[in-house]
Amino acid sequence: MATSEPKGAESGSAVTLENVSKIYELGEPVHALDGVSLEIPRGSYTAIMGPSGSGKSTLMNLVGCLDTPTEGTVVVDGQDVSALNDRERTTLRGTTVGFVFQTFNLMPRLTALENVALPQLFQNVDRDVRHERARELLERVGLADREDHLPNELSGGQRQRVALARALVNDPAIVLADEPTGNLDTDTEDDVLDLFADFHGAGTTMVVVTHERHVAERADRIVHLLDGKLERIESLDDDRRSSGEASH
Amino acid sequence: MRPLESLRLSWRSIRGHKLRSSLTTLGIVIGIAAVIAFVTLGASLQAGVIGDISPDDQRNVYGWAAEPDTEGGPLAGAQPVFSEDDLDELDDHDDIDAAYGYMPISTQALVYGGEISPQSDALVAAGPSYIREETLDEGRQFEQGEREAVVNPAVAGQFEEDIEVGDELLIALQGGEQTSVTVVGITDTSEGLSPFEGFEPSPRVYVPTDPYYTEDAAGAIPGGADDQDGDDGGAAGPDLDADGALYLAIVVEAESADDEAIEDARESALAYLESEESDAGELLGDDLEVTLQTSAELLQQLEDVLDLLQNFIVGIAAISLLVGSIGIANIMLVSVTERTREIGIMKAVGAQNRDILGLFLAEAVILGVVGAILGTALGLAAGYLGAWYIDLPLVYPYEYVVLAIVVGVVVGIASGLYPAWRAARTDPIDALRYE
Repeated sequence: MATSEPKGAESGSAVTLENVSKIYELGEPVHALDGVSLEIPRGSYTAIMGPSGSGKSTLMNLVGCLDTPTEGTVVVDGQDVSALNDRERTTLRGTTVGFVFQTFNLMPRLTALENVALPQLFQNVDRDVRHERARELLERVGLADREDHLPNELSGGQRQRVALARALVNDPAIVLADEPTGNLDTDTEDDVLDLFADFHGAGTTMVVVTHERHVAERADRIVHLLDGKLERIESLDDDRRSSGEASH
Repeated sequence: MRPLESLRLSWRSIRGHKLRSSLTTLGIVIGIAAVIAFVTLGASLQAGVIGDISPDDQRNVYGWAAEPDTEGGPLAGAQPVFSEDDLDELDDHDDIDAAYGYMPISTQALVYGGEISPQSDALVAAGPSYIREETLDEGRQFEQGEREAVVNPAVAGQFEEDIEVGDELLIALQGGEQTSVTVVGITDTSEGLSPFEGFEPSPRVYVPTDPYYTEDAAGAIPGGADDQDGDDGGAAGPDLDADGALYLAIVVEAESADDEAIEDARESALAYLESEESDAGELLGDDLEVTLQTSAELLQQLEDVLDLLQNFIVGIAAISLLVGSIGIANIMLVSVTERTREIGIMKAVGAQNRDILGLFLAEAVILGVVGAILGTALGLAAGYLGAWYIDLPLVYPYEYVVLAIVVGVVVGIASGLYPAWRAARTDPIDALRYE
């Protein structure tokens, strides 16, 4: 089940970035991120927008505990990512972050059910418990009748729904979606975004990286990145029409 | 990740590439099958051969003269040097219970009841005690100086009417002469009665050296004398003072089967045969050397040859295993590259490095073990067919079956370790971007 009440009530933020820089040494230093500070409250729905090379992917990797910052601190679910070793970071990632990718990234030889249950396989959850949980989530994304299908037997929209179910299986503090509708047609896109909204409504913290305005507008606020810097934060009110300058 | 889950997942990906996986294990299958088949055959052969040594045979010392270092087992390169006088002299030694000559005689055919059966090398001339009591199924040993014979079941059963004790048998010798024998006994086995004959079943008629060798056949044997009057035979040398036939080999029976008694008999016989006193000693010259060995020792030589052969096969199999494990390593490396993205996915959703390592290692070990099991089954089947074909008692070397499985695991680990390590170190960010 998606969280109905936020994890770690002692902290109000699912993720906190403080003055974060990421520098790649490619002959000369490249500042992929340059002094970014950002807070992602629990239960929020945040979109991250920006042109190519603006640092979106780097930010994703940092928030998703796949990478560590060169400078600054990234705190995910109350834990400082830089202070963790590789193993601890993997554990944190497995239990508190759910990923949804543009290319779905399902395991080709596993059924829909097994794909959804996969993250719990690495948390040593019993097979029966795992599958029961996966079944529950498949039902919530409307694929209860597809649990024995392999990914290549499913449509794009169905695959992305399996991926969303997988992202939610460990009851994560945050769901990170990277261009989740980039490979889908308009109708399916709406279905998937509706599901995102459903889970957000049920309390899940959502972060969606996108370069499409109408996808971003489904969020509470849009974080604009440019050249590795946080350009501005745009708040969207409830009817998702008006927009204004954010003050952080 | 739990080991059982790793195995389950690995098995899934092996089954996803059936042909590739089968071909990969083939090297292991062939290597293991070769070892198991030859070890089975070797063990069966040993069991078959050793089962043929009867306790009474243990006190026999078999001797022949050949150039030193001649290889090939009993009678290899043997020259006839042992005279009747030598045998009489040895017979009188205190340490020696009995000594008699052994001579295979070339034949053309056996004739019984008007029926002719072409047979070469069916006739063996020896002393009476060559036929041991316990090998007699019917009748008795032949007596020296009598025209009597003991036949084995392969001879007895080969004519339209079975030969029985008391029947007359005609033997056509190589020279064209015919001689007759009265059958006085039938043995219970058609296998050879001593290492001289070899151990495979074959029709044989056992007769006393006197008169069959000394009188009838001597003329047909190169180096043998023409008669008993002491004419010097051609190859025997002009200064030979023998009174007749020369034997190709001798059998010396020790007083008992004790190691000490056998050693005494052997030393006593050897000392005499190599001395100037004996005809053999004169004939040996500088070129020949007398070998005196027991059945057990001769079998040891045979076993040594078998061991050598087995080591050779194991060596070849080891190469096959090496090639097989390189094959597994290679296919695992390909597999790691192919599944880079899957590795990235698993790491993104929380797989630790050791989980990935375990998955790929399990895959390599499964390939190795499946190869080992198939190889063992194939090897046992081949060993069974081989033993059945050569007519040996089947002995399965069970310890080798266990060893084969262990080898499969070891090969799997050895060949999977590097690819699995590479997979485990894959960076998830790069892997997720990998197309």
